[in-house]
This record gives sequence, C-alpha cells and structure tokens, in this order.
Amino acid sequence: MNADEARESLAFSEYARKRARDDMGRPWLALVLLASLSVVSLSLTDAAASPVGLFWMFAGPVGAGAIALYASRRNQSSGIDSSPLGYVAITVGLLILSYTAGKIGFAFQVPAVARFGPALVVAAGYLVLAWVERSWMVAAVSIALVAVTVAILGFDLSSQQSKALLFGLYGITLLAVGFSVRVRRQQLL
Amino acid sequence: MTHPTSALDDTIHQRVRLGILAVLSESRRADFGYLKEVLEVTAGNLSQHLAILEEAGHIQIAKGIEDKRSRTWITVTRKGRAALASEVATMKALVEGITIAQRT
Repeated sequence: MNADEARESLAFSEYARKRARDDMGRPWLALVLLASLSVVSLSLTDAAASPVGLFWMFAGPVGAGAIALYASRRNQSSGIDSSPLGYVAITVGLLILSYTAGKIGFAFQVPAVARFGPALVVAAGYLVLAWVERSWMVAAVSIALVAVTVAILGFDLSSQQSKALLFGLYGITLLAVGFSVRVRRQQLL
Repeated sequence: MTHPTSALDDTIHQRVRLGILAVLSESRRADFGYLKEVLEVTAGNLSQHLAILEEAGHIQIAKGIEDKRSRTWITVTRKGRAALASEVATMKALVEGITIAQRT
C-alpha cells in the first residue's frame, strides 16, 4: 500500500462514518430542547419544588422516553440503528442536576445559584453533547450559553429583568440551533 | 525493523470492508440494504465481504423477519472495533511517515 492508497482508504472510511452519522435520526436535539425547556422553566419558577418544577421532573423523563422510543422505531425502518440510551441518560442527568442545583441554591440562600445554576447545567450538558457528536457548533452554543449567563450575572439586574433576559436569550439560542440543524439536514438529504 | 505496511490487517484494509466497519462503528447496527446503498456495491459482492469479516470475528450477522419481510442486521464486535481503530492508526502513521520522508 502506498501513501495515495492509504489516503484514499482513510478518506473513504471517514466518508462512510460521516454518512452513517448523518443518516441516523439521532434524537439529541429533541431531547436537549426538552431538557432545556424543563430547566429554564425550573429557573423561572424560583422554587424547584413548586408545582411547575414537580411537573417537569415527571414530564421531562416521560417525554425523553417517548422521544427515544420514536427515534428507535424510526431508525429501525431506515436501516441504520443507533442506541438512544446515551441521549436519554444525558437528558435525565441534566434534569436531575439542574433540579439539585436549584434546590441547593434555595437551601443555602444563594439566589445566584438557585437562578443560574440550572442554566449553567444546561450549558455543561451541551458541552457533553458536543463531545458525543463531535460538533463544534454545539460546543460553540455551550460556550455562548455560559457567556450569556455570566454576563447576566455580571450586570446588577433585578430578579425579573434577569429572568426575562435569561429566558429570552436561551430561547433564541435554542431556536437558532434547532433551525440551523434542520436546514443542515435538509441540505444533506 | 519491520515495514509499516506489515502492521496492516489484510482482512480489513480492503476498501469495502473498511467502509462496512466504519459505518458499523458509528451505529448500534445496520441492515444489509443500507450497507449496499451506502457502499455502492452489489448484493453478491457485499455478501462476500460480510462473510470474510464474520469469519474473522469482526462482525455478527443476525437474520430475521420484521413486518413480514426478511431483514439482515449486522453488528460490529469488540474485536472489529479494535481492529478498525488499529488499522486507521496504522494508515495515518504510514501517510505521515511518507509525508515526512518526502519533505526531508
């Protein structure tokens, strides 16, 4: 085997990997959006043990399970099957960690942790996802979310103002990710 | 001293077989029709390559009936994953070695 043949084989192997990754309907976006929505909702309630917080603690895992089941069935019919378990674990882990962060913040009377802890957990979750997906775009989103949260913390805003900003900026960022992934997938198909 | 190409695995470095393992390493399993489409090979050709990989213990093949039609699912084994990683590393080293040799 000479260098050109080796290069050609490596390129073909990379093409096959990329094609498989693109063809698998991985449910990560739906799962992460669900987790993010849950976490932002928890942040906004100011009490993780409120009815809204408790609702999301149950609705989150049930929703994650339903999305994973749908993705699994869809993959089976397309001919390439990925395990959604890792993504479900990330989603449920995010929910538990963010719930715990909120509880700790309230228990120790640290409003900043109670309000922004869950949001930072979401950003950390995106970073894990970026590593799993080998996606620079998702990594950039994670860094952007941390930057947004730290910036809001840096300004001396009222509780209502910081909540509105956090919710708005997270919402816009998540929608932008959703649309860009959708467009990218349509271009690939 | 051995030549770098001696570390290449004859079972894997054939283009289609490398492609099969690359696809399977990214997924839990893939079916016969999907591999045939992605690798742009005929059914007979693909069957031959799959048989070679199965015999070497790199993949497992499971045949069954789903929705009243036959379905063949292929899964990569631990040995197959390790062999693919080793093969890719060897090829990268080979390319880098030749590139450095050409520069000096």
